[in-house]
Amino acid sequence: MIDALHPVIAAPFSIEAFSCQKAGNARTEYEDAWAIRGSDSPTRCRVAVADGATESSFSALWAALLVESFVRGRSHGPEFFRHLGAIRRLWRRKIRGRPLPWFAAEKAGRGAYAAFVGVSLNAVNRGWRAVAIGDCCLLHVRALPSQLELVSAFPLSHSEEFGSSPFLVGSVKKTDDDPLPHVRVSEGVLGADDTLFFASDALSAWLLRRAEKGEPAWDAISPLGMNTQEDFETLVTQAREEGTRNDDMTLVRLTRRAGGERGAG
Amino acid sequence: MYSAEISRKNPGCFIFLLDQSASMEDPFGGSSDRRKADELATIINKLLHNLSIRCAKGDSIYDYFHVAVIGYGQDTVVKSAFDGPMSGKDLVPISDLANNPLRIEDRVKKADDGNGGLVEQTVKFPLWFEAKHAGGTPMSSAFKMAADLVQRWVAEHAKGFPPIVINITDGESTDGDPVQEAKALCSLGSDDGAALVFNIHLSSAAGNPIELPASADGLPDKFSKQLFDMSSNLTPFMISRAKELGMPADEGARGFVFNAQPVQVIQFLDIGTRPANLR
Repeated sequence: MIDALHPVIAAPFSIEAFSCQKAGNARTEYEDAWAIRGSDSPTRCRVAVADGATESSFSALWAALLVESFVRGRSHGPEFFRHLGAIRRLWRRKIRGRPLPWFAAEKAGRGAYAAFVGVSLNAVNRGWRAVAIGDCCLLHVRALPSQLELVSAFPLSHSEEFGSSPFLVGSVKKTDDDPLPHVRVSEGVLGADDTLFFASDALSAWLLRRAEKGEPAWDAISPLGMNTQEDFETLVTQAREEGTRNDDMTLVRLTRRAGGERGAG
Repeated sequence: MYSAEISRKNPGCFIFLLDQSASMEDPFGGSSDRRKADELATIINKLLHNLSIRCAKGDSIYDYFHVAVIGYGQDTVVKSAFDGPMSGKDLVPISDLANNPLRIEDRVKKADDGNGGLVEQTVKFPLWFEAKHAGGTPMSSAFKMAADLVQRWVAEHAKGFPPIVINITDGESTDGDPVQEAKALCSLGSDDGAALVFNIHLSSAAGNPIELPASADGLPDKFSKQLFDMSSNLTPFMISRAKELGMPADEGARGFVFNAQPVQVIQFLDIGTRPANLR
């Protein structure tokens, strides 16, 4: 089953999120997470996507805590990863006290892991600043007169860079596991006809692969090509038929709204 | 090839062969107080422990793998090596194994305290196998029995990842040349590739451990060379995963180790995103 569309539409930005779980899994086993805050704010909008690792336990919970903390908190740069103590404690509290069999207890003790990309977007000058760890990606796409074109892909920019063992953010602080050296930062400005796409790893890899082959799918994921959950389902099916790994898939799309020029000065 | 997804719907298959013959009572690796049978029991318990942890998800366990453990030696027969509630069973889902160890011991180990420090913790340590050593070494018959299980498995999972057979032994077969039986087993497989045979050689000889060599040069004796011959080449994914895990694995590396505890082999199959920093 694929989840329903979650539209969040308000000035000055229009944001839609689409998601579906790994084929063969129940919806409750979906381990990505996304959060949006301030799409109608005259000052600042925040968006985050996280991808809980298959090979860790309670990673959906960890992914959700990461994105919520990012969009609700005050830290939107690399320092965000210096202040994970509160959500790490919350993660521990939520699983503590459960009667777990030996294997589940040991696995939980190793912590949950997630890839993360988060953006803070200035509604006045439309400048954006992104931080990321792992392989969830931000894709900045621009509408040229004849076509849509990729401006930048962050933190990974080529499909071959995606592997099955990235460094991820952990829910348990360990002595040799500091996320800060692994934080990547990028900045840009959202032009009038630009779109920011946030995608979990398998979808990002497919989108980049299509672009590298000269068969970009930007139109297919633009508002002209995709508006319903069925559209997204069709796209995911196509990606899987083209060899994309069977994984949870999440796409958040952010565009400037027509007339959303508040505070532009 | 070797790219089939491993999931609960399309599980992988491990078949472990345990040498439980009398020669396993001899000292291990030049040690005066540790027998090869002790080392074997440690390795198989660690492998099953790690496999269970790998498949644990939330408060349950996903059956990404089915597992058989065949013993050869006790009374010079080949049979399921499980004792206790699993006695007599061959291929079982990993959840059955994880939920039915022979016993669970409490052991103390150092663990992360969640704040960047270390703390002593009592952890549950499941054991499925005790050290055993009696009788001859019918290794060829063990491979025949494994081949029967492989045949049955691939008939039911024709498109799945092919089975992996891991033989743990001192190499001194007493029922003929096991190389032919291992080769015959590797002629079986699924649409995704031939069955794979790995060997873990436990020797009385002292010497540095050898992991995943690409050549038999430098192997210490005829038994290790024979087991190397019986071992499959690692797939490209396995070579790259082995390197990530800090094992030496060059082009042409085979699934063979000498006097080592290669518990990382459990990580050689892909079941989804594995954090590089997960230890």
